[in-house]
Amino acid sequence: MIATIRAEWRKNQFRPAFLVSLGVVAASTLFVYGIVWYLATHPSPGNQQGVSILTLYPDQFVNYVMGIGLLLGEAMAVVLGAVVAGSEYSWGTTKTMLTQRPGRLTNWSGRVVVFAAGLGIMALVLFAVGAASSVVVAAFEHHAITWPAALYIAEGLAAVWLVFIANGAIGLALGVLIRHSAAALGIGLIYVLAVEVLGVRFIDSLNNGAYKWIGNLFVGQNANALLQSFTSPAFGPSAPPAIATNQAVLVLAVYFAGLIVVAAGLLRLRDVT
Amino acid sequence: MAMENAPIVETHGLSKRFGSGFLAVDGVDMSVRRGEVYGFLGPNGAGKTTTLKMLVGLIGATSGTATVAGHAPGDPAGLAKIGCLIEGPGFYPYLSGRENLRVVADLASVSQRRVDEVLDLIEMTSRAGRKFGTYSTGMKMRIGVAAALLKDPELLILDEPTAGLDPQGMAEMRKLITDIGHGERTVLISSHLLGEVQATCDRVGVISNGKLVRESTVEDLLGDEGVFVRAEPSERANEVLTRMFGPAAVVHENGHFNLKTNPAQSLAINRQLMASGVAVSELRPVERSLEDVFFQLTGDKQGS
Repeated sequence: MIATIRAEWRKNQFRPAFLVSLGVVAASTLFVYGIVWYLATHPSPGNQQGVSILTLYPDQFVNYVMGIGLLLGEAMAVVLGAVVAGSEYSWGTTKTMLTQRPGRLTNWSGRVVVFAAGLGIMALVLFAVGAASSVVVAAFEHHAITWPAALYIAEGLAAVWLVFIANGAIGLALGVLIRHSAAALGIGLIYVLAVEVLGVRFIDSLNNGAYKWIGNLFVGQNANALLQSFTSPAFGPSAPPAIATNQAVLVLAVYFAGLIVVAAGLLRLRDVT
Repeated sequence: MAMENAPIVETHGLSKRFGSGFLAVDGVDMSVRRGEVYGFLGPNGAGKTTTLKMLVGLIGATSGTATVAGHAPGDPAGLAKIGCLIEGPGFYPYLSGRENLRVVADLASVSQRRVDEVLDLIEMTSRAGRKFGTYSTGMKMRIGVAAALLKDPELLILDEPTAGLDPQGMAEMRKLITDIGHGERTVLISSHLLGEVQATCDRVGVISNGKLVRESTVEDLLGDEGVFVRAEPSERANEVLTRMFGPAAVVHENGHFNLKTNPAQSLAINRQLMASGVAVSELRPVERSLEDVFFQLTGDKQGS
């Protein structure tokens, strides 16, 4: 297992897909902070619901990057998962990896561990760039720099990471199922960005919301609820999440574990043709 | 001693039927002995690659059994003793040749020092820092062979290692395989290059339509040598030759004779015919090439 993790780390540390994703997350976080800072300091004359600059200060950065993580991270994690699993088939590296010493499940376990670590780094980059951006805003606005509690930061980081790995598992499973990165990536994105959203809306609309509980079992709904639980009065009044935080954590963890096990089964049983 | 004589690869009734119903490999009984270079021959689609993939556990057999390096195919303990290059080299295009080998070395639990050793062996040290995606077909194939050698394997399985190479690349690969094949290591090689197989392999297995149609030493496969004679008058020549070798060893057709005898008899044949007043216009040894035998066994006139 250690050997597999070492090999996976060696091959993924310079993988363009990972490096580009980290760059996109960092750039997008900077971009969002910059745009919102501009809007907060240049409000439109007739706009009563202006952006509060209080949300951009360091004490709110955890709550702030949650939104960016939800918007960007879900899709990015699906893409990364599909690329990491699917390209092994496109490049013919599956047969190279599976004919070395470790068995198939050990190989898969190592890949999942390193992939999850990679998404952890992506969450760290999101938080680090968000924190740095908030410091810059606070410094320019002559606002005191105060940070959220360390536990709150850790909880936020864990929540974003959980959302990333649950979505990443969708990409991984599709990559193994379809054995092609481009097709897996396309299907994964369509599912996360369109099919699930429309499906949940349809289910919620049935019989005056009698089947809303089914809609509440989808990844996106639970990710949304989990990240929404990180808020504060600085963001204005908001409705409580439709799904309890504990339930959201449980559902996302089950998705991650379930999809990884299903993909492991496919990898274990299918021929490498 | 018993271990040395035991086959390193042994299959009994090994078969593979794919989901579509296509029977790719049909009851193959194959035996590769330790220390030999075994050529696995067959036309395209005969089942060579499928068989090799079953031996390393990439494909599961539908029926039959196989033992490879003392273990079931795909068993980690067995894989530790096997190096293979199957269906071309599969590596990460964004990593250098050296980094790709380091990934494989990590997986195989092999020292990173061994990476430099095999790079030296395949003469790729100076080009090992380039990205794999920028390599020529020949260089990619060399990295594939290097990866197969990382474990210093007891059994080396090479599937069409010269596929896609230009003549120079083929010559380089041929030399490399010949070097690798020396010593205690067993080499199982599938190839279309029958001349090379004939020159380098101790034994061969010929597969056609999923069935192993012949397995023997190269010498046995090529059969008895003979002598070709063209002489006049042919009636008198027939009498002399029949007297010398018996009627069963003399085949008279189209004005010439094919004699089932050792070419070393050529001088005696010439002397007897001349002494009997027969004029000899042509006398030469007859040797079947592996290509002739291959086409005869597989029924593939075009080759592949």
